[in-house]
Amino acid sequence: MGASSLIVLAIAGIVFSAGGMMIAKIFVKGTKNPQKGQAYESGIKSTGTTWSQFNVGYYLFALVFLVFDVELVFLYPWAVVVKSVGITALIEIIIFIFILFMGFLYAHKKGALKWI
Amino acid sequence: MILNDFFIFMKQELMLLFIIFLLLLIKVGKDRSNESLLYLINLLLLINVIAGFILPGEGSLFSDMFRTNPLIALEKNMLNIGTLIISMQSYSWLKSHKHLLEFYILMISTLLGMFYMISSGNLLMFYLGLELSSIPLAALVNFDLEKKASSEAAMKFILSSAFSSGLLLFGVSLIYGTTGSLAYAEITSHLSTDPLQIFAFVLFLAGFAFKISAVPFHFWTADVYEGAPVAITSYLSVISKGAVLFVFVSVLYTVFKPLADVWYGMLFVLSISTIIIGNLFAIRQDNFKRFLAFSSIAQVGFILVGISGSSSMGTAAVIYFVLIYIFSNLGAFGVVSIVSSLTGKERISDYKSFYKTNPFLSWILTIALFSLAGVPPAAGFFGKFFLLIAGAEKGNYLLISIAALNMIVSFYYYLRIVKSVFMEPNESPIESLTIPLISKVALYICLLGIVILGLWSVVYDYIFTLSPIF
Repeated sequence: MGASSLIVLAIAGIVFSAGGMMIAKIFVKGTKNPQKGQAYESGIKSTGTTWSQFNVGYYLFALVFLVFDVELVFLYPWAVVVKSVGITALIEIIIFIFILFMGFLYAHKKGALKWI
Repeated sequence: MILNDFFIFMKQELMLLFIIFLLLLIKVGKDRSNESLLYLINLLLLINVIAGFILPGEGSLFSDMFRTNPLIALEKNMLNIGTLIISMQSYSWLKSHKHLLEFYILMISTLLGMFYMISSGNLLMFYLGLELSSIPLAALVNFDLEKKASSEAAMKFILSSAFSSGLLLFGVSLIYGTTGSLAYAEITSHLSTDPLQIFAFVLFLAGFAFKISAVPFHFWTADVYEGAPVAITSYLSVISKGAVLFVFVSVLYTVFKPLADVWYGMLFVLSISTIIIGNLFAIRQDNFKRFLAFSSIAQVGFILVGISGSSSMGTAAVIYFVLIYIFSNLGAFGVVSIVSSLTGKERISDYKSFYKTNPFLSWILTIALFSLAGVPPAAGFFGKFFLLIAGAEKGNYLLISIAALNMIVSFYYYLRIVKSVFMEPNESPIESLTIPLISKVALYICLLGIVILGLWSVVYDYIFTLSPIF
């Protein structure tokens, strides 16, 4: 054990991953055709470029959704212990929701919820 | 009882949280003019500075996750003062900026992260604070919304800081694996010179070196400093770097004390390369912000010399130097910030015969540069002097003589600017600028700080009595 094991681990890691790639290189027949390079889209031929523009509004909606998603994740464990912790838990969750609510108000003020 | 402790120990953090939420509330309400908001925010930051000095508590919260003592409170106050000065200096830039409140919300959030980082008693808390202080900074670097260079700088900053956080986190995970705990006190008692622990420490040190831009890890510094708005450049080079240095000293001197012989050698190499490369690159710069970036790299090298000595005055010397560095670097950055926001000129060659048109700004710039170079009446000399004494504790005079020689090299490039400001002719000098009153006050504060800290030894003695003995 000690430093030597770490070095052995590092070398083994490199050999393992590089070796796999080398073996694949040796045994694969190097045929190339345009269809191979295409993205697989449910068997249907893909058309157009993938670099198309999306409306930024989707992202803003997703972000605002995420805020309340996370809030909900925190609310479940809170709901389990609220009875035993008592009034402190109530105050803490009010502060927590207030903080998130401020974020929501900010998003609303910036017009993130207006659709186009 | 416990609630009372909570309010006393976390006072400075709660103040910042209060300011953040007040600003959010103002933002949500009806639109107000930038000027009135700027006065309100500067007033709030001033109150924050004053309130920070009242009743520094001593104790810990959340089972030692968060701890505080008078020294930590003092470090936070220093960062508060620096933030106030930066905010006052960037008045003329922010006056016409359309996202003023977001700027302050993000900036104070990063400050809050640094406070948690400084007070952390646990590596997990430390990491959370570090991330809270570095992610909003990337958004701040991008705050010159029209400039492409600013976006590029933000991209570079977020990628390099993510990478360095990754290294640091890997180090933390190995430390956890070998010691079985994340709490500082537990880690110290389980450290030995086991190779895996040293490897973990190297990764940990690399993460730190990224944040303080010590040399092999300094490549992001110059580009990010050049692209970012001047206010954020000064924030990065003074506040963010200062906060990481505070943690660095306390972590090395308390948590990794059993590895002192190991990190002495590493700091020796780091400090010499940092000083030399910082100095050599600073000589050839023409962009003022790039120049200050390399000068700040060189200054960090001197701080590392002071840390490496692990003497009884190591902590005090570093904190004292950072305090001086706040005032002198912000003095120089203040002038650059005002000139850049009023005329858009950022090159050193634009500053030729600056004295003829703007004598006040020239004098501030000169005194700040003298202090950075370390010319005796200015405070910078005493800061470097104490650092070198602290570094000499181990009797490694090679290190000290290299540092001293590099101080002389640094005179060349600092005084080159003074020469071009006062002596060199220029057909189209920067016109006579009208400085906003609030920025003028900030420059006077920097000037007072440089002069008083150099002449009045009480400050150093006070820091020395607070700091722990190695």
